[in-house]
Amino acid sequence: MTEPTTPDIVAMATPYALHATTDAERAEIERQVAAAPPEVAEAFFAEVRAVRETMAVISAATAIEPPASMRERLLATVADEPPPVRQLPTRQPPTQQQPTAKGTNRWRTTILAAAAVVAIGLAALGVGYTLRPAPAVSTAEQVFAASDVQTISGPIPTGGTATLVFSHEKDAGVLVMNNVPPPAPGTVYQMWLVGEGSPKSAGTMDAKAVAPSTTAVLPDLGTSRALAFTVEPGSGSEQPTSPAFAELPLI
Amino acid sequence: MTIVERVARLPLVTTDLAALLRQVAQRDVDAFATFYDLTRARVFGLVTRVLRDPGYSEETTQDVYLQVWRSAANYDPNVGSPLAWLLTVAHRRAVDRVRSEQAAGQRESRYGAANVELPSDHVADTVILRDERQQVTECLGSLTDVQREAIQLAYYDGLTYLQVSERLSANLATIKSRMRDAIRGLRRCLGLT
Repeated sequence: MTEPTTPDIVAMATPYALHATTDAERAEIERQVAAAPPEVAEAFFAEVRAVRETMAVISAATAIEPPASMRERLLATVADEPPPVRQLPTRQPPTQQQPTAKGTNRWRTTILAAAAVVAIGLAALGVGYTLRPAPAVSTAEQVFAASDVQTISGPIPTGGTATLVFSHEKDAGVLVMNNVPPPAPGTVYQMWLVGEGSPKSAGTMDAKAVAPSTTAVLPDLGTSRALAFTVEPGSGSEQPTSPAFAELPLI
Repeated sequence: MTIVERVARLPLVTTDLAALLRQVAQRDVDAFATFYDLTRARVFGLVTRVLRDPGYSEETTQDVYLQVWRSAANYDPNVGSPLAWLLTVAHRRAVDRVRSEQAAGQRESRYGAANVELPSDHVADTVILRDERQQVTECLGSLTDVQREAIQLAYYDGLTYLQVSERLSANLATIKSRMRDAIRGLRRCLGLT
């Protein structure tokens, strides 16, 4: 070779590109490349590309026809697969604080302690909120069949997941809450449709309404841009009294 | 079909794969089927060469294509050709599978049992591949024995370069040089440089 010294990390490019390293070595190589001067990193990646392109051509040497049944299985699988679910970035849960006996910290503390949310189960509450437990199967079916159906899913900071399948065309959504812990005693989770003007309550849910997996139909999305979740005292509030601990965008 | 036609079709296949991947990213099932048809023999063959087990190879190949379906939008043309991207994914998955099986003690004795040659009755039967296979096989044959051995153990048998050096009783720097020189020799022979 004419180059007097090849940096050690560049010499690792070929084993790296051939997957001839352990996972730990691989991670260490990537760390070193990230920390290397740009010209060294460039040389590394150029070598990696060269190896991969070469082995792509070499793959002609080992080509074998797979069984025909594999094609059918694959195409059936992808045809049945629902559109990818958009994942929300994980939101950091609020910092833990000791409850104070009184004052504004109270509900905030409740959020921390209980947090999670979930939609549904208003029937258990017997309260006439907008959100109703999926009696309207037809609404859900319409949402799922809508041409503009979308799915948005996000983690609840204290555990569990909220997933909303919605359609602006049908002006409705179906909310599914999985493994969300119940709210603290004396509080409920409240859902809000957020858009122009004040947030509009979309229902509440108390501890009894929380199940390992809960589903609810959410009609009248209107022009809402997000579905937000708060912890509210008693049986719910006219307007949110605490910051949302989770939010699903509707656009 | 003439030789000229066969040779001329190779770059077209490469171009088409990038366009197909963009369609696959838009969830175009027909484009996915075409992408599969154009690449399946290379992927399945490579995976089978590494895994040497029909059942594992089918599972792994399906996983590779499901990954294509789900992450075609992540393909970055600046990083390499679609074929290199696809076969990198396939090789990584096959090697991971080999190592997990090896960790379970199920495959160790089979290392070194095969070489780069394939039984001719199993090879993919397309004109392009037959033509290309001949050239590629000749290029593999043009490597020195120690270079070919290093590629065989690392790329097809899934050994790490440290394991290769132990297997061949050669030091690490020597093994790295053999691998690098093997790739350079292949590139020269294939006209890639």
